[in-house]
Amino acid sequence: MPLYLPIAELSMNVFVVMGMGALVGLLSGIFGVGGGFLMTPLLIFAGVPPAVAVATQSNQITAASVSGVIAHWRRQGVDVKMGVVLIAGGAVGAFIGAEIFTYLRSLGQVDLMISIAYVVFLGLIGGLMFWESMRAIMRQRRGYVPPRKPREERHKAWIHALPFKMRFRKSRLYISALLPLVIGFFVGVLSAIMGVGGGFVMVPAMIYILAMPTNVVIGTSLFQIIFVTALTTIFHSVNTQTVDIFLAILLLPGAVIGAQIGARIGMKLKAEQLRALLALMVLLVCAKMAVALVVEPPELYSVADLEEIGERH
Amino acid sequence: MAIRRFITCFLFFGLLLPGVSAHALVTDLSNKRIEIRYSFSGAELILFGAVGSTNIDVRQEDYDVVIVVRGPEAPAVVRKKARVGAIWVNADDMRFPSAPGYYAVAATRPLNEIANPVAFASYGIGFHNLPLVADSGNGLMMPDPEFREALFRLRSGDGLYRQEKDDVAIIGQGLFRTNVHLPANVPVGEFIVETFIFQHGSMRSRNRISLTVDKEGFERAAYNFAHGYPFWYGIVAVIVALGAGWLAGVLGKK
Repeated sequence: MPLYLPIAELSMNVFVVMGMGALVGLLSGIFGVGGGFLMTPLLIFAGVPPAVAVATQSNQITAASVSGVIAHWRRQGVDVKMGVVLIAGGAVGAFIGAEIFTYLRSLGQVDLMISIAYVVFLGLIGGLMFWESMRAIMRQRRGYVPPRKPREERHKAWIHALPFKMRFRKSRLYISALLPLVIGFFVGVLSAIMGVGGGFVMVPAMIYILAMPTNVVIGTSLFQIIFVTALTTIFHSVNTQTVDIFLAILLLPGAVIGAQIGARIGMKLKAEQLRALLALMVLLVCAKMAVALVVEPPELYSVADLEEIGERH
Repeated sequence: MAIRRFITCFLFFGLLLPGVSAHALVTDLSNKRIEIRYSFSGAELILFGAVGSTNIDVRQEDYDVVIVVRGPEAPAVVRKKARVGAIWVNADDMRFPSAPGYYAVAATRPLNEIANPVAFASYGIGFHNLPLVADSGNGLMMPDPEFREALFRLRSGDGLYRQEKDDVAIIGQGLFRTNVHLPANVPVGEFIVETFIFQHGSMRSRNRISLTVDKEGFERAAYNFAHGYPFWYGIVAVIVALGAGWLAGVLGKK
């Protein structure tokens, strides 16, 4: 059943779109990730213009994160104060990211920027995750248990030297507000230019840099993603008019149902194996995009409507 | 008496008139207003036409029909990738201030059999005869043929430019028809459908009718809202996402 999408200005099969939502939802449920980094490339491969894919994904992630945060909120897994500081940084980051996005779009380089951002971040995160999970699997085979450091010692010395210290009761932390501000800013930029929630950067940053307790990490990350992607949606709407609400709504039911089923499958797998599989998947997407950048494209030329992308010399 | 002579005169010149205008040509479309709605996946129109009685009788002599459909013109940019270091990057570009968003040529025979290229050039028939200019930043200039060719190739790939692909069928008795294919990504606006009658290599008659493609109803409203009130569109998008997400979260719990 074809459906004409008025913002993307193309006709797509409803069942294909919903199927894509379900597939990414299933994977995100299994691995406990947001799925933006899978959905945006998938939409681009399906023929959606990259700018529309990125902007629409922000909208869809808002919805997906709301449905995810409810459960964490009920079991007190959201550090609102930490979330607000992250959002403050994220708002500035999203604004700047959206400006960069708009500027590069008018220069015709936005597709390149999206590809490079994906290759760099997916390569980095996927590589680290793969290395870490392989090490964990090896250690488990050898029966080696690393000695646990007390939480206070996990912070590097320079972190305690930073000014503007703030108390985050729920995370049981007393650290400089600059740290979450900078992390939030960075994730905000990524969210705007890559069409992702940024959980794949935020969660490791919360665990390894901020040393937050794991029970509030996912909830707080989802909480801040809701607000940052909501802002990103508004910025993209104002700057480039590339948010397609209909595409976002079509992706949602499949994504939510897929995530429920995925979460059940995920529980049956071991955490280390799960992380290794996720890392492989991330590296696969990364490799696919890297190849597209390096191999000589069959068609060197491309055409764009100047009124749509906005004139800028 | 004077009145009688006037009437005679009128009849005399009146009868001569069809001879002056060579071929009387009438065309019409099966649908002159295409509405893009939620289920739009392209449109197929039928154009039919008739050549009236003339000093050269179409029933005895062969004639050719060339039909040109031209969509609204809009600025377009063609970019060329080049290798920079290890990766392929958009490097050169060429701006066309007014390129047709849709352009189709249908004919009874291959164009080179109907008339010589000079005839087509003088009427601007065929993509290669369109007066396309490029904007160099400080004035207009002739576009680089490579970029012009790329524009044609890319838009042909999208189904927006069609040349030497569609036939005009002569049904007989001066009657002809052809199909106009509009793809799903067709631009909105006013289209011009021009019909040319060729005989013995020269143009005998032409006429033009128009066609409108527009987004309608909900699709139009959504597009206007997104472009006219982008901030509020963004707000609505966020509210819809929050509502849908909350609903999904509550339903998913059960």
